[in-house]
This record gives sequence, C-alpha cells and structure tokens, in this order.
Amino acid sequence: MIVSAEHLSKWYGHVSGLNDVTLSIPPGVTGLLGPNGAGKSTFMQLITGQLRPSAGTVRVFDEPIWGNPSQYRRIGFCPEQDAFYEHMTGRDWVAALAGLHGMDAGAAANAAAQALEAVDLLDVADRKIGGYSKGMRQRVKLAQAIVHDPLLLVLDEPLSGMDPLMRRRTIRLVKQWAVGGRSVIVSSHVLHEIEAMTATVVLMHNGRIVAEGDVHQIRALIDAHPHRVSIRASDARALAQRLLVDDDVSSFRFEGDVLIVETDNPDSFYSRLTEVAASGEAGSVEEVSSPDDNLQAVFTYLVKQ
Amino acid sequence: MSVPLLPSTRRIFDLALGQLLWGRRGILLVLAAAAPILLAMVTRLTLVGDGAIVQINGRRIDSQAVFGTVMSLLYLRFIVPAIGVFYGTSLIADEVEEKTITYLFTRPLQRGAIVLGKFLAYLVCVTAVVLPSAAVVFMVMVPFDEMASLLASFVRDLGVLALGLAAYGAVFLWAGALFRRPLVGGLLFVFGFEQLAIVLPGYVGRLTIAHYLQADTTSVVCLLLVTVVALWAAMLIIGHREYVLER
Repeated sequence: MIVSAEHLSKWYGHVSGLNDVTLSIPPGVTGLLGPNGAGKSTFMQLITGQLRPSAGTVRVFDEPIWGNPSQYRRIGFCPEQDAFYEHMTGRDWVAALAGLHGMDAGAAANAAAQALEAVDLLDVADRKIGGYSKGMRQRVKLAQAIVHDPLLLVLDEPLSGMDPLMRRRTIRLVKQWAVGGRSVIVSSHVLHEIEAMTATVVLMHNGRIVAEGDVHQIRALIDAHPHRVSIRASDARALAQRLLVDDDVSSFRFEGDVLIVETDNPDSFYSRLTEVAASGEAGSVEEVSSPDDNLQAVFTYLVKQ
Repeated sequence: MSVPLLPSTRRIFDLALGQLLWGRRGILLVLAAAAPILLAMVTRLTLVGDGAIVQINGRRIDSQAVFGTVMSLLYLRFIVPAIGVFYGTSLIADEVEEKTITYLFTRPLQRGAIVLGKFLAYLVCVTAVVLPSAAVVFMVMVPFDEMASLLASFVRDLGVLALGLAAYGAVFLWAGALFRRPLVGGLLFVFGFEQLAIVLPGYVGRLTIAHYLQADTTSVVCLLLVTVVALWAAMLIIGHREYVLER
C-alpha cells in the first residue's frame, strides 16, 4: 500500500477535521471526493507530514511521515491554496524548489524546464508569477510538485481554475504518472473530474470515510439501497397504476406531472418501464432520468446515510 | 534515511537571500542605510571652526563625540532594532501568513534548517547594508587625520552593530515562529519597553537587548547567548509546530 491510516483522527481544538479514519490506498490513481470541509485537505496534510495525527497512525510507503523529511524525496505535493513567491518568475520558483531537493543549479534548471513543459507553461516561464492568470498559477503549482519526479503525487483540487484544454492535459498527466509505477492521490469536490482520472475513489464527508473502492463497487453498494427514477409522462397517474402492480417498486410519489419511483430492483423496473412505454397503454413517457445514475448521486446518497 | 542539517541550511539560505534582497522590505533597508549617510553629509556641511569641530548650542563638540552619538542614537537605538523587528518577524511569519511555508515543509529538509538558513540570509543581507552605511558615515564625519586613531574603536562599533542585528533578528524570528502576527508586539517591545527600561533605574534595563549593545566582553557574550538561545527556541518551535493555513 502507498498510504495506510489506522484510526486516524485530527482535531483542531474542539473541531474535528478527520474522525477515526482507517484506510489503505493502493498504488495507482486514487481520488478523494467530498464537499468542502469533508476532511480531504486535512487528510492530505496528514499524509504529507504537515500535520501530526491527534490519534491513530498514518504511514506512507510503510514509514511514518510526521517528522520524517527524507520521505519528501518521494512525495510531490500540490496544495490547494493560491500561494506563491509572487516576485519570482515561474522558472526561478520551480528551480528554487527543485534545489531544495538537493539538485545543483544546472540539474534544478533542467528539471524545472521539464516540469514547466509538462504543464505547458514553458512559454511564460520567465514572467513573474504575480502576473500569471489563475490557470497558469495552478499549472506552475503543479510543476513544482512534479519537478523532482516523485513516486507519489498528492494533488489538492488541481483542476480548479484551469481552462478545459489544460484540464484535459492535466488529467492525462495524472493518468500517465501512474502508468510508470508511480501513484497519485487527487482530491476534488467535482465528481466528474475524479471520474475522468480514476475509478478508485474514497468518498469523504464530515471527516469520515463514507465509502471507498472502485466506482463500480460503490455503485453496487448503492444498488443495495432504493434506486430513484424520475419519469415525466403525459399521464403520470395512469403510468403509476401500471407500474405498481409488481413488487420491484418500494415507494412512489408525484411532483407535479413527474412520477418519482424508488425501486430495489432497477434492472427489473427499467425492463418493465420500457415495455409499458413501448405499449403506450399509460400514455406517453416523455423523459426518464435517474438522479442515482451518476457518481454525483452516489456521493449524495452515501453522504446522507 | 536522515536529512543532514547543513546542506539543508545552505539551500534555504540561497532561496531566502533572494527573497530578502528583492522583497518588499528591501526599501526599508535601503532607507535605513541611506538616511544616516544623508544626515552625516548635512552635519559635515555645518562644520564650524577648523572643520573638525561641531558647535551645538554654543558648545564645541569634537567629531569623535558626534560620530559616537550617531552610532548610539541612530544606529544602535533605532536602526538596528527597527531592522531586527521588521526583518526578524517576517522571516517565518510571512511564510505562514502568505501560506508559502507549505512549499518548504514538504521538501526533504530538517525544519530547523529553515530557521538557520533564513537567519543566516537575514544576517548577511542586513550586515552587508548596515555596516557599509556606518563605514560611510564614519568617513564622512571623521576628519581624515583622525581616522587612524579612531579605527580600532570603529571596528568594535561595527562588531556591536553586527551582534545587535543578530540578537534582535534571532529574537524576532523566534517571535515570528511563535506568533502569527508578531510585528506590533515587536515594535512595542523595542520602541516602548526597551526605550523605557533603559532609562529606568535598577535592573530592568538588563532585560533589554539594547542594554548589551556595548563593546565589552559581558555584553558580547550576552548578545551571543541571546542569539543562540532564540535560534534554538525557534528551531524547536518550527520542528514541532503544525501550521494550520486558513483558506
């Protein structure tokens, strides 16, 4: 495992940042999902040794991380905060931080150029960071995280503020990083961003792990609970009468002309719904959607539990 | 695998030196160096008699006394503590305030090296500006034929300046590591408490750094001790402290 946490908790005074988290993160790309305040950043600061656990343990590459600076040779961290040495150029800043890894001036300059190229920032590398756009600042922050070619990249909301093209490029960079046997732990509160990077996710809320595993496993988990379907139909009440004859519907209600059904057996229900719609016996079915049929809904559902 | 202290210190020193030279406080340092030179030039223009004597309120004062007064009142009582407060408090506190300390804390460095490297960069930077400034003032105010006789005393004064900058810098670096916004407290200490304590009778003056800004052995040892203890305390704080950065 790349990261393992046992009953890990972090309190800020009386406020709980992370609450009794036990978690193992495998090699590859792992996404941390959760709303602001879920504990993602606290977890990332704990696994990068910036914070000391209040209780429990956290190990990275099977070694403790707090007070163990030699670990940072293997870790690259891209923080969420928009903080820089504004008066420095992107090139000087990334090279200076590479120098803190023990590279001599020449090696640091080369590594900085490579990292800046990887984030498509080489053309503005000699401009002061203070003059960078939000997207450029995100990219130069990413460059400093990869400049020493770390085995583990820890990225806190890395896509925030990036334009669509750079978003795509960063997502590709994250995926490629893991191909060479390296790992990435990436956080976001936007689920489709994480979905684009990995299927391995950890869902967090209120400092706790809500669910973890493959996206499909999480979807299977959600399937164990009622699955909601929203149906807009010309005659919703007639449709409800037709659908309620089987026991795969656990509950239903109307919201205007929309029928909301909860089912314990989505496969069976969708099959019957298709038949009823095709027969036209209960009027026309205009729109079928399932708030549960995407990762956002899975997340929302699990958070409510 | 441990991380050695000295190479880490050197790396932080390199980074911090550039920040200090080009940072926003650079103007303060330039002013602190230039103001006494301008003052010395004005004083020189007001020289009376044979050109080596200043007359104040009808009393004739020799150039050595005038230079001593400038060193004491301007450099030791004002410039050195002011630079110590403004620079010393900024060394760590600015990194925390501006949330850039994350970039240092996630590098393979001993945290104590951040304190040492930044302190050494500060000391090199400020002594490289303040000591030449004092030397120019010396050359402007002291007649050429008296320089040789005053040189030994002047070199001792430079040493006291350097030790004062070190002691104030270390103490306020420690304050910056301990408190989030240490500047106001620092200013109150040097321009409030110290100014008052030094004129009060009794032993209160000994609780100030200003009391030890003298070229005698006891004072030098005390200044060195204050510097070392403050740095050690700052290293201890940085080594164990978690900085929770507000978003």
